[in-house]
Amino acid sequence: MLNIENLRAEVEGKEILKGLSLQVNAGEIHAIMGPNGAGKSTLGYVLGGRGNYTPTGGTVTLNGEDLLEMEPDQRAAAGLFLGFQYPVEIPGISNVQFLREALNSQRRVRGEGPLSGAEFLKLARAQADLLGMHHDMLKRPVNVGFSGGEKKRNEMVQMGILGPKLAILDETDSGLDIDALKAVGDGINRIMRAPDKAVILITHYQRLLDYVKPDFVHVLADGRIVRSGGAELAHELEREGYGAIAA
Amino acid sequence: MTLLQLPTPKQEEWRWADMAALRTAAGSAPQPTGIDPASLFLDLEGPRLLFVDGVFDPARSTPGPLQITRWTPETTHPLGQLAQGEGWTLSLAAQQAASCIQVVHLGSGGESHVPAQIVLAEDAVASMVETFAGTGWANRLLQVKLARGARLMRSVRLIQSAGFVSIRDEAEIGEAASLVSVFLAAGGMASRIDGGITVIGKGAFAEMGGALLTRETQKQEAAVVVRHEAIEGSSRQLWRAVAADRSTASLAARVEVARGAQQTDGEQSLRGLLLARTATVNLKPELEIFADDVKCAHGATVGELDQRAMFYLQSRGVPENRAKALLTRAFVADALARIGEDTVREAFAADADAWLDTAL
Repeated sequence: MLNIENLRAEVEGKEILKGLSLQVNAGEIHAIMGPNGAGKSTLGYVLGGRGNYTPTGGTVTLNGEDLLEMEPDQRAAAGLFLGFQYPVEIPGISNVQFLREALNSQRRVRGEGPLSGAEFLKLARAQADLLGMHHDMLKRPVNVGFSGGEKKRNEMVQMGILGPKLAILDETDSGLDIDALKAVGDGINRIMRAPDKAVILITHYQRLLDYVKPDFVHVLADGRIVRSGGAELAHELEREGYGAIAA
Repeated sequence: MTLLQLPTPKQEEWRWADMAALRTAAGSAPQPTGIDPASLFLDLEGPRLLFVDGVFDPARSTPGPLQITRWTPETTHPLGQLAQGEGWTLSLAAQQAASCIQVVHLGSGGESHVPAQIVLAEDAVASMVETFAGTGWANRLLQVKLARGARLMRSVRLIQSAGFVSIRDEAEIGEAASLVSVFLAAGGMASRIDGGITVIGKGAFAEMGGALLTRETQKQEAAVVVRHEAIEGSSRQLWRAVAADRSTASLAARVEVARGAQQTDGEQSLRGLLLARTATVNLKPELEIFADDVKCAHGATVGELDQRAMFYLQSRGVPENRAKALLTRAFVADALARIGEDTVREAFAADADAWLDTAL
């Protein structure tokens, strides 16, 4: 599904990713772990197409298409979802308005007809119910006044509504209490654990991986993947720290 | 007519005014507009007035309680002074109501001057919508007097495709009376929205605000002074300016609190959004306070669209232009939210959306 080969990228002239390669197949969940400053979030932003995160070498394909050539909205329409570590607050735009616009834009690119207001609301409410998010929050401005946990739940509701093929979730577990962590973990499993979908979990800690069992764990250090293994690698990291493994 | 006496940018109050555009509009030859005036009225019950090039059109108007008359208003305002001759008046006795009054001004070129007056007796209530369309220089003066407990809600949209619209509002607000005026400038014309509002009664409320949307080389401005002369008054000036291309939007808002006007609560919020680095937003917030027990909140900021919000929207599949439009619409939404009537607010929002579709 996703094929990253020797990816190099810089942020404001500083090289952060230094030849990163990774292959993610449909039906797989990959965890990328690593110390602060390793380039984990940069990887998410480069794949999402954020401005100022400039690829300087290598290739990335999503289902055979050149991902780096696409605008961020085209990447979304191609099935990519980027879950933000710090979801952005947008005053003046309701969740419902934003997500209906987003979903219908994606559907347009894919040659599908738009959902009506009623159809969309039904879908949004169903997804909110599954994540334990109150319906009132759908009407509120995007993330404005939401707690950290509510913002992350909202990211999962968005993922449920948009139904991506590949989700890259950047520290979705940060700032969550244990109930919210479980809700988010359940959400990831329910929405994304399917033979035709894949997930990259970018995380600092093992704890989310107790709820979402990864098929592969990779250690990212200094802009490269320095070690890969199965779920047991996460435990090893938790036990021994990044220093020993990334050295 | 009297173009030689027009104010010049050398005067501080007129430094941002586009007097060149005004002169060009005044001298422009009338052309067919191709606009059906009926399409400019909103689908609302109530009296309707149509002025074509400043001339009342009785055949396409239903004045109800409004009267058409000729007079020369008293004002010292340099553009307001020019608005004399045929105009309209609304005078409501105590506890009477009139809604929703619609006044449409359609211009085909050249200059037109129309005075207007609204006098509401105690507890009278009126709401009105004014629409400026077409082209040419439309110059209007409105003088308002609100007696105790009277309420006036006024919404004004400037959607001329070209030319110049100058509006001068002068109001005296009596005890516990309320005036809310919301302006939307979303056309291709230059403009000057000018207000002088005086709170003369205890506990009165005055609001004048709105949104100026400018593009290409357009220049628009609002210049409002709210003066508190009585105790316990509140006022609110909430303006949003959005400037694209090489355009300029300017907001000057002033709150004056006279000696003795204690417990005044004034709020001033001026915000500008630049859609291009070549555009200009000027903000000039002013407070002049001669009482010691007052609250005057004020804020003035100019910025660009939040790039983090842009990426967030795009990463969910919203194309760049739509993302800009959504964020810009959200930016002006506060300013239009004060319009009470749903039909009017939605029409204004649609005008803003149409502007965004063209500008982005």
